[in-house]
Order: sequence, then structure tokens, then C-alpha cells
Amino acid sequence: MQIIKLTHNNHQQVIDQAIAVLKNNGLIIYPTETVYGAGVDACNQVAVAKLLRYKTRREGKPLSIAVASQEMAKKYVKVNEQAQKLYDKFLPGPYTIISKGKQTLAQGVASEFNTVGVRIPQHQLILELVNQYGRAITATSANASDKKRPYSVDDILNNLSLKQKNLIELIIDAGTLPRNEPSTVIDTTLSTPLTLRGEGVKKKANHSQPLIFVSHSEQETRDIAGKILFKYWEQIKQRGLVIGLTGELGAGKTIFAKGIADFLQIKDIITSPTYTYLKEYSYDRYQVRGCFHHLDLWRLDQTQDAQFLQIEQLLAKKNVIAFEWWNHTKKLLPQVKPDIEVELKVLTTEKRQLKVYEK
Amino acid sequence: MRNKYVFDDQTKKLPLILGIDTSCDETSASVTLGRMVLSNVIASQTNIHQPYGGVYPSLAKQAHQEKIMPVIRLALKRAGVDFVQLDVIAVTLGPGLAPALEVGINQAKKLAHKWHKPLITVNHVEAHMLSVLLQRKSQQMSIKKLLRERTGHPNISINYHQQPEPAIFPVLGLVLSGGHSQFVQINNFGNYEVLGETIDDAVGEALDKVGRMLGLGYPAAPVMEKLARQGDPDKFKFPLPLTTVNDFNLSYSGLKTAAHRLIKSLEAENKLTQQTILDLSASFQHAVFRHLAYKLNKLLEHRKQKNKQQQGKLKKDQLRKNEQQKDKQFFSQVWLGGGVASNINLRQTIRRILRPYNIELQTPFEKRLCGDNAAMIALTAGYKMSYTRKNYLQAQLKDLDRKPSWRI
Repeated sequence: MQIIKLTHNNHQQVIDQAIAVLKNNGLIIYPTETVYGAGVDACNQVAVAKLLRYKTRREGKPLSIAVASQEMAKKYVKVNEQAQKLYDKFLPGPYTIISKGKQTLAQGVASEFNTVGVRIPQHQLILELVNQYGRAITATSANASDKKRPYSVDDILNNLSLKQKNLIELIIDAGTLPRNEPSTVIDTTLSTPLTLRGEGVKKKANHSQPLIFVSHSEQETRDIAGKILFKYWEQIKQRGLVIGLTGELGAGKTIFAKGIADFLQIKDIITSPTYTYLKEYSYDRYQVRGCFHHLDLWRLDQTQDAQFLQIEQLLAKKNVIAFEWWNHTKKLLPQVKPDIEVELKVLTTEKRQLKVYEK
Repeated sequence: MRNKYVFDDQTKKLPLILGIDTSCDETSASVTLGRMVLSNVIASQTNIHQPYGGVYPSLAKQAHQEKIMPVIRLALKRAGVDFVQLDVIAVTLGPGLAPALEVGINQAKKLAHKWHKPLITVNHVEAHMLSVLLQRKSQQMSIKKLLRERTGHPNISINYHQQPEPAIFPVLGLVLSGGHSQFVQINNFGNYEVLGETIDDAVGEALDKVGRMLGLGYPAAPVMEKLARQGDPDKFKFPLPLTTVNDFNLSYSGLKTAAHRLIKSLEAENKLTQQTILDLSASFQHAVFRHLAYKLNKLLEHRKQKNKQQQGKLKKDQLRKNEQQKDKQFFSQVWLGGGVASNINLRQTIRRILRPYNIELQTPFEKRLCGDNAAMIALTAGYKMSYTRKNYLQAQLKDLDRKPSWRI
């Protein structure tokens, strides 16, 4: 491991050295306008594997990439109209724009939904580095998963094991960075941009303002469910998650539940729980084991009946609970407060509108 | 298969089993002797709820808890059996509703402990599938006399599993109920392969839901069956689902949505008259069964082709040998169980599909045995004693836990 101090006049030397390391499957730590990033050649499978060992416990979180220009981004992702607008307005800058991948990157960079987050950092050195290297590098933060945000080289090194330190070949030390928030992540692969992290372009959605998605197929509904859960994965692990689904027959409530199961990597077929009121599926997602409870209290009309199901016992960390017919169920279960409410509406035979209220 | 019971020495060794089922809405207990149903008590909650019309089951845990002992006692009384005489106690372990299952399991554990009886746990879907093997209580034999000689000794022989002859396997098991819809290949007792199943709603569920949209109360499927007889099944056209997918799975969400839209638009135009409801019931039921028949036929056709291919590969002399057993690999029977199995129209539809294949349809000997009941649980426990190696006589009562999503 080598640490080079960045000065006013050694930029090109640093870039040359970094490129040499990247070419040699190496891992570099570099400054950005937000936090320090960990970079490897995003197309190089050996290098990406090294980075994944460094980050540890990714649990399906994708790695975003840093590129130098829009043209370069388009080599790796399909930039749709909505993404294009965001690129024009916000990049370069502290934003990560998620688009569908073109499968030109090494495995493990794209998410399980084959989406890729793209950054164009507002940092002259890095833009120049990527530009000269000619290929995307990974743009994940330099801390190991779950550790302190890295604003200085010490922040990073103090939280690493020896094994992790040995994976680093070069650190570009720009001193302590201004305490800017990590980049805001905006997903443009859905009809409504979903802000996964950060303050967002607009103000943070409050209770009365739902996120609105339009799904054009069952698969898209499943994907939306998966992405919403992905956003809540930390909470699921720590506290569990309760979801209330509302919508008439055929609106896609069970489809949404299937999406939840996809995300949790449940292999069983999710079928309607109307007859048994409750179906229970155990899941194992990246060694996190818990239960998905799928409920349908459509047949119940009395609170005392609902109590029979002992819902309180299901509310536990790592458990995901989804209620179908939530608008009907909430009267029976006043004690249950869902974290997310989803209203599904039939638009046409295939099209569905999903209103997501986050509590 | 429904030959009269031969009461010989072997029969005397048939296991006398108390079965308990609380998998969902029903509390049920039954006593069986081998394949014979001595008693079968179902505290049907559907009877209790019908007067409320539209108010739904009070499935409160208390409902099961209050009923379970009276139901068990009644089952024993009707069978003329005492706890001491029982050989085994059997209970549903899953799949089903967890808190409901728990009531039955706890009670069975208590009884097994109290009376020192082995406890056998049963899969509810397997039991539905085997329910066609249940037999009527023989009228000619004095069961009382037979039972008097019994003291519940555990060293009973279990030869009755040889009936039906193992040669009839493989059999195609068809479980169609409110909670399950599966095609299962039964290679032998305890040896099952799921060939296809519903990917969303169960058959009974689809009927119940659309029935409820039509305002037919709960459960709506039996009402729909009656109404359907007076309606025109061709009046409304429904799509045939999953025709492009090359598997044997069922899907009812599309049909359900189509029905929902149709009912809404009819309501809006004020055209939902009595005759329309009858026609809709008939048409929807027809569509539900048509989908099932389509998939069943596809499955059988596929299996037949596969057999032909295999035979084509065999050499001539082998072929001659195989001549006699050429249908052996093919299903000789279909065993139909589950609540929807009582639907006459469904049975006709299935028979029509089976006829060209020369397959016999077996159904439970009475309607009550189609729905959830404990007789099938007791029966299955009997077979389970013969096919499992596990020594049930040392019941591991402590380790027993419900399995709400147990697959066969």
C-alpha cells in the first residue's frame, strides 16, 4: 500500500501512478466532492472481485461507477429520456443516476435488477483520471460496509482489518474532505424516479405526498416491489418491515407480494393467502435469515378474529409482513402501523398505478 | 377398489387411529380402523356463519379451543371407542394457519402423553390426496365385538398398505380446494412429485372470490355450483390462461380479474339480473374447470409422448417384454381430493379428459370427505406408519412444531 499526498502540482504524476495500478487489477482510494471512493476497473472481473472482498457484506448492493462524460456513461447504461434530463441538469455533481445496465461491466457491479448507478464526480482530478484511463472505475465509498463515512484517510484506515488494508494498492490523500453528504441516488429505471438515498432532487417525500409509479407489466410491478424493499433492507434487518397493500381484486396485490419474495430470494411460489389468512415463507438473503408473512384478512370482519392471528408476534426484526386489503384490515388491527402503504390501481389490462406512502 | 372389507385375522390387526385436524376454519376429529371410517365429526364453522350472511368466520382461537375436546369426545363416542383402545393419535402438522394448527397439535400432544399413545403427524395435502382410499364402515361386521378384543397394543401389523395393490402406481393425485391446487405424481405412499400447482389463487379460492363479488355469501363455491346448473355456461366468454407456457401450473388471477371487470360493467349498466348471475356462475365455473381440464390434458399428453419416446429407444426383445407393462409407467388412476372435488360438474369434466387415456377417476366416497376432515388425517397416519422408517412408537413430543407451509 502506498499513500501519495495530493499537491497543487503533482496531479499528472498521481494520475499516471493510479492508471498503472488500475491496469494491474489494483485497488485505489481516491477523493471526490463527497467522500473518499474505492476504485477498481469496473470492467475487470478480477479487480471487481477484489473490491467486493474489500467492501465485505454487500448483500446485493450494487457498486456505482464513475465516468468522465455522458458519452462514456452510455457505453455502460441505457440512458432514457428521464435520465438524460437528470444528466443534463445535475452531472457532474454529487448524484448517482441509476439506469438499466448494458451488461458491459464486470459481474457484481450491476444490481440484481441489472441496474447500474452512474456518477460523474465534480472533482477535476478524478474526471481527468477516468478520462485518461478510458474506462469506468467503481465509485463506491471507501469505507467497509456499515463503517463510518470516509472523509479522511484516517477514517478509512482506522476501520479496516489488516486483510482489507492489504487489498489497497494506492491511496490518493487529499487531506480531510469537506463534510458533504454522500451522493443522492436517483433511480430512473422506474416511471417515477425513486430516490434511494440522500435529500433528493425535490424535498423529501412527506406523509401526504406519495411516490407514484406506473407499472406496465407484472414483472415491472415485481421490480418496483423489490426496489422499495431494497431501500428498506437495513430497516428490515434491524426492525423488520410492515407493508399494507390496498387495491381492488386483480389490482396486483399478490403480484407485489411476489416481488417482495423475489427480493428476499424465496424460491417457493407465492400464492394467495385468502383461504388460510396467513402464509409464512422463510427466506435467506445473503445469509440474513428471516420470515416473510403474507396475510389476507379479507374474510375477517371482527377485531377479535384478527387477534387470533397473533400479529404482534410476527413483528420482529428480519421479518417482512405484507397485508393485502390493508384499507379493510386496518380497522381490525388498529395496533399495527405499516411502514409503507401501497395503493394499487388498475389503469388498463396491463397497466397499474402504484402509490407508495412512506411513513 | 371399494370392495367390501374382509374381516379376517389381518383386519383385527388394523390400526385404530384417532385423527385430529385444525388446519384452518374447521375443527375435526375422526376415528378410523384401517381404511374404514368409524366416525368423522366436523364442527363446521360454515354452518355457524351462514346466518350472519356476509359476516365472516369467527375463527377466533377460542373457536378451535372450545370445540376441540367436545369434537374429539363425540368422534370417540360415535365410533364406540375409548381412549385406551386407540393405537395411535394422528394430527395435522401443516400446511395451514399457524395458530389454528397449534390448537390441534397441542391437544394431540396432551392426549398422546396422557394415554401413552404414539403421535403421528400428517401433511394436510397428502391426506387430501389419499382421502379416496377411505372406506365406508362395514355394516355386516360387528365392530363392537372386534373392538372389545382390542386394548391398544402397539405391536400391530400394518399390512393393509398393500391395498390398493402397489401395481396401480404411479397414480396422479389431484388436490383441488380453497387453499390448494396441485397435480401430484404418487409413485408410492410417501413418494410424491409435484408436477404442477397454482401460481396464484387455488381453484376453490377463485370460485369463492368471484362468488363473493356476485354477492353469494361465504363460502360461495358450493352456492355457485348450484346456481351454475341453471345458468348458461356459454353466455359469457372468459380467456383460457397460461396456454403459451409449457408447464402444468394453474393460474386464476387473470380469470378473476376478467370476472371482476365484467361484473363491474354489468353492475354499472344495471344488467346484473338474476338470470345474469346464474349465467355468470355457470360461465365462470366453466372457465375455471376448462383451464384445469386444459392443463390436465396437457400433462397426460406430455406423459404419453414421453413414454412413447422411451419405448422407441428400447430394443425389440425388450419391447416384447415391455408389451405387457407398457402402460405401467402411465397413470392408471386419478385420485381427486379437496373441497372442490365434490363438484359434480368438475368430476364430469375430468372424466371426459381421462376417458381417451383409459384412466379411472377415484373420488372420496362421500362429499364430507372432500372438504377438510380428520378421517383423512387418521387414514394417512396409518399409511405413514407403514412407509416411514422413523419409529413413531417413541414419539418425540417435545420437538414437535407446526409447519404452516409444509410442502409434500
